[in-house]
Formats: sequence, structure tokens, C-alpha cells
Amino acid sequence: MTTPSATTGGSATADRIVRHALPDRLLHWLCAACVLILLGTAFLPIVGVAFGWVTIHWVTGLVLGVGVLLHLVRVLARGSWGSMWIGRADIADALDVAGATMRRALPQRKPGKYSVAQKLIHHAFAVVVLTTLVTGSLMLLRIDTPWWRRNPYLLADSTWGIVYVLHGLAALVLITMVMMHVYFALRPEKLKFTRAMLLGWITRREFDENHDKQRWRVDP
Amino acid sequence: MELFRVSRDIYGREVLQGMSWDLLWVFVGVGCVLIVGHALYRLILAPKQR
Repeated sequence: MTTPSATTGGSATADRIVRHALPDRLLHWLCAACVLILLGTAFLPIVGVAFGWVTIHWVTGLVLGVGVLLHLVRVLARGSWGSMWIGRADIADALDVAGATMRRALPQRKPGKYSVAQKLIHHAFAVVVLTTLVTGSLMLLRIDTPWWRRNPYLLADSTWGIVYVLHGLAALVLITMVMMHVYFALRPEKLKFTRAMLLGWITRREFDENHDKQRWRVDP
Repeated sequence: MELFRVSRDIYGREVLQGMSWDLLWVFVGVGCVLIVGHALYRLILAPKQR
């Protein structure tokens, strides 16, 4: 019987289990590249590296928007929306991890395909990236593009100020989040997840040791 | 350190221009502190992973 929080979609060979399909990996790396380019074009000029950043910035923002849309369409088409849902089992996982941390012991519970921490960072990225995309789309109306002439009078100055603050705040938060994301991706105990995002798979042993097979149903 | 950038419009009213870019280094610093803190925790206090 499948539990409500069970996620499926993995497929296995004798010793490898697919964690991320190729389209998902391509989308991840496309979005990652876009975020790095966006942060670079946003903040390098601020720290004194002068170059024509505006066009690169908004074109990359459009590409990121397309990437996010493709991700949403793919999730809806596959019906895998629930794999990032934080349910009762995830809350029990979080309490187990918190208790184990206090006792300086190892957690007893195993997560499904994604741990609570991975779900939380996904949701945090979703909020922050969507904030930059929505506010960035509004700001795009203030510059000339091949499709329209700029219109700085669409919103009141005070409203534009709020748009700028949200865009800037989300971009600043994104810096910290990207730093943390890269750090955890490079930690020795997390390298299996980084390999899975590069090559797609984890080993059967990694699956057995780190995941609850009742909550991550892998196709035989 | 300012939190926001502001300017004045032609009528002399304050207009919000966005976040202060001085905060850039605050967010970089927070990232560094979290990374070093977690690395030290894992190195010194945390039990070995299974």
C-alpha cells in the first residue's frame, strides 16, 4: 500500500536507482546557470566590475522564467506535485533529526526520496526565485525590449519602490541560499545527491542506507 | 548602515529606490557564518553519519 507521502518515479537496475531523470537534471543546471549569471550581472557592477549588464540580465531572467515554467509543466504532467509536500512523516523526521542533534546521536528515521531539509530548501528557492521573476518581469516594462517601448509610468513611484525592494531583497537572500546550497552539495556525505544531479542515479546501497523504501517507491 | 536606498522626486518627496547595496556583504557574511558554523559542528560535535 502506498502511504500518502510516498513518492514514486524512480526506476532501478540491479545496483543503480534513478533519482533524477535527464530532463529534470537539465532543468536544474539550466536554472542554476541562470541564477549564477543573474547574480553576477546584478552584483558585479555594484562591487566595481563595470560592464554592460542590463541586456544579459534580463535575457537570462527570461530564460530562467522559461526554465521554471517547464519545471512546473513537467511536475504537473507527471503528477509528482506531492513529492515535495511536507506531510506528517516529514514533520516526524524533522523532530527525529532535532532530537538526535540534541542528543548528539544519529536520527532513527529515514526519509523518502527527499529529506525535510531538501524540501524546505526547494520551497525557499521557489519563493525567492518566483519573487525575483515576478518583480523582474515588472521591471522589464521599464526598459526597451524588442517587443515593447519602456513605460516607467505603469505604476506609481511608491509602488515601483516596493517592487525594487522585493527584487533586491530576494536577490540578496539568493546569495546566502546559493552559498549554502553549494556548500551542502560539496559536503562528503551529500556528494551522492550531487552525483545524482549530475548523472541521475544513486546506488542500491545508498538507497537502502538513506531512504525509507515505503516512502520512496522505486519501480523494480 | 542603511537598509534602503532612497532619492527625492521633483517635488522633494522621498522615493524608495530599493535595498541598500551595503547589505550585500551582510548576506555574504551570513552565508559564511552558517557554512563555517555547520562545518565546525560536523567536525567537532556531530556523530559520524551511517
